[in-house]
Amino acid sequence: MSDFSLNVREEGDVVIIETAGYLNNVGGEKVSEACYEKMETGKKLFLINLENSKVVNSIGVSILIEIIEKLQDVDGKLGYYNLAPIVEKTFNIMGLTKYSTVYYSEAEGLEGMA
Amino acid sequence: MIEVSVADQLDYYLTSLDELGEVLIDADQPGSVGKGILRLTLGTVMASKGAIFLYHQKKDKLTILASQGLKERTPFSPPKKLKSQSEKYRHDHINIDKIPPWLTGELKSCINELGSKILVPLFHKDHLLGLLCVGKKFMGESYTGAEIKILEIIANHLTKALYNYKLIQDVEDKQNQLNLKLLELETLFDISVAISSVLDVGELSDEILWRSVGILNASKGMMLIPKENSPILEPNSSFNWDDMDALLSKKLAVFKKVEDEKSGLILTPENKNALQKKLGEDHVIIAPLQTKDNTLGYMLLCNKESRHGVEAFNQTDLDLLTALCNQGAVALDNARLFKDITEAKQFNESILGSIATGVITLDTLGEIDSINQAGQNILKMGMDEIIGNHYMFLFEKDEEILELIQKSEVENTTHSEINMSFLTVSPETVVNVSAAPRIDPDGNIQGLVIAIEDITDVSKIKNTFKRYVSKQVVDELLDDDAKLNLGGEEREVTILFSDIRGFTSMSENMNPENVVATLNEYFSDMIDIVFKHNGTLDKIIGDELMIVYGAPISADNDTQRAVVTAVEMQKQIERLNEQRKKRNEEPIMVGIGINRGIVVSGNIGSRDMMDYTVIGDAVNLGARLCSAAGPGEIYVSPTVWKETKTKFHYEKLNPIKVKGKKEKVGVYRIDWSA
Repeated sequence: MSDFSLNVREEGDVVIIETAGYLNNVGGEKVSEACYEKMETGKKLFLINLENSKVVNSIGVSILIEIIEKLQDVDGKLGYYNLAPIVEKTFNIMGLTKYSTVYYSEAEGLEGMA
Repeated sequence: MIEVSVADQLDYYLTSLDELGEVLIDADQPGSVGKGILRLTLGTVMASKGAIFLYHQKKDKLTILASQGLKERTPFSPPKKLKSQSEKYRHDHINIDKIPPWLTGELKSCINELGSKILVPLFHKDHLLGLLCVGKKFMGESYTGAEIKILEIIANHLTKALYNYKLIQDVEDKQNQLNLKLLELETLFDISVAISSVLDVGELSDEILWRSVGILNASKGMMLIPKENSPILEPNSSFNWDDMDALLSKKLAVFKKVEDEKSGLILTPENKNALQKKLGEDHVIIAPLQTKDNTLGYMLLCNKESRHGVEAFNQTDLDLLTALCNQGAVALDNARLFKDITEAKQFNESILGSIATGVITLDTLGEIDSINQAGQNILKMGMDEIIGNHYMFLFEKDEEILELIQKSEVENTTHSEINMSFLTVSPETVVNVSAAPRIDPDGNIQGLVIAIEDITDVSKIKNTFKRYVSKQVVDELLDDDAKLNLGGEEREVTILFSDIRGFTSMSENMNPENVVATLNEYFSDMIDIVFKHNGTLDKIIGDELMIVYGAPISADNDTQRAVVTAVEMQKQIERLNEQRKKRNEEPIMVGIGINRGIVVSGNIGSRDMMDYTVIGDAVNLGARLCSAAGPGEIYVSPTVWKETKTKFHYEKLNPIKVKGKKEKVGVYRIDWSA
């Protein structure tokens, strides 16, 4: 597993970001750039599909926290789905799930964001 | 100018202090507290510019918490003497109408930009928490004593707020550190769970590596395992590392050091070694996958990430990686052991499956816990009928086998029996059985192993062949199947025929019982001699014997053994006749003919009745020579004479005309009494 890539698409008001690779400093920056770009266009609801990101480090987590803080300023929301157990555990322990939501599918995420 | 009364001024200050209380209560973030306090301060003392600086003791940096009239700045280093000089003004203010010489650098530049007149150090006990900087008063007036006093009161409240903020931030930092520690512990726990649940070496390697990379904030990593019988280290698993083409040898100094010292290393850019150069990486951390006796491999991670780039790994990282590797080594060792055991089990099973002997294992309770394919074939039962069954039930019809097993059970020694009738299957089935104790590596008895060899076919062959050949020949045939070709082949053999002269007329004067008794006595003596010299009893036709030497097994001295047999037969007949004379019975006189030549040998007959025999001209000539021989005479063909002339006395006779031959054939008579 190497190289981080992402795909951004929209489902109504929700921006879906699909990641592939290590969600570290590099990966996290790419995700935050994509989020901030969309926020500038007025988007506030973001769902990240982490199916192909099996490893997340604490730098990646801190970048997600930055995104959550920025979204809170505009009453936005961040959610995730398709998390590997190890990633979900990391998010829980690092307190990320207090301010963002873990869903188990895209459909559930879209419904939760509405 | 409007005169402001002292009472009005006091009221204004009290209002300011009241608002200060609200700012401190309402604001939940230090930034907003800072902004609120600064706005209030500047309003209270009627200044337009000012700033609150935060001092980070650990980083020794000043950052702007809130400012009015000051450009944004990144954290900067304070003047060297800031802390020592500020201490002199604890609970006081520094009048900076004229900037003192120790106020240097970026702080001086900020003060100039703000046109500051007053600097209040914000101390909590001995800790400098920050600075409150106030610019010149509106319209350039001087600050009054009351204004300075209220400024100091506000500064005091600001200090408390900053201290509280610092405490909160410390708690948050600690919380964050605790979360990270928890994550580390969870990771170690997960790996310990994986030890008992994941037994695939590749899957386990990935799991350990991925978790190590994630928990240590490394940018990439790999697990290196030595290639078998080679110094080359191969990536067993790698993460975020797609251009790994460097050839790594465990003879590299860094790997040797790690292996010898059984501890990991932190490699920094200051003293780049060969490994860092090969990998093209500056920051590397490496730890051995160490079991009690072996270094299974190495975990290698690169570039510890921070929010602002790459930093060096530290001892805490190494301790954590070592803990992960120690767990990982146990897990990998277990997985490898499991793989070895599985392979050994498969190997044993394939051996057990391929052998013809049935192998049955019993547990300590005497129940059958395994049986190989041959065992199932011999027992003519499926696995379901056998496994879990007690041997007492399985072999209930075979008392001898039960006794043998019980003996082995009681004495903890191996017992075996051969040629046992195996009634569990059928009375015709013959087996060799042995029972031996199953002993584990600690020497404990774990049950029994029973080996059953089905020798029914062998027994049949023996029973069949022993009528025709000696036991020695049967054993030789069974020992080496290659010698046994019963399918039909041309071979050179020596054929002996014997015939009792005048037996038909002799038997006319005897009752049937005497005829049978005479023949049995005669054949018994003759066949003993035949078997003694490993001849094959081909046929008994009436009073005639046909013996073959050289089939089914040939030897160099076939002809010589045939002649010796003939001589001994004549001599035994002499002795037999002496006994017969004593019993007032007529003597038996026998003629013998021997020939050697090419015959066709094999199982000849119908599907229902088949005998091993030889056919051909050479057989016929042997029979003719026998017919020609007189009572007590042994006639041999020239081929026989040629092979044995040096060992026996022969008399050359006139050639004789035999049926089926145009030419007369040469004949030699043995002087067997010599």
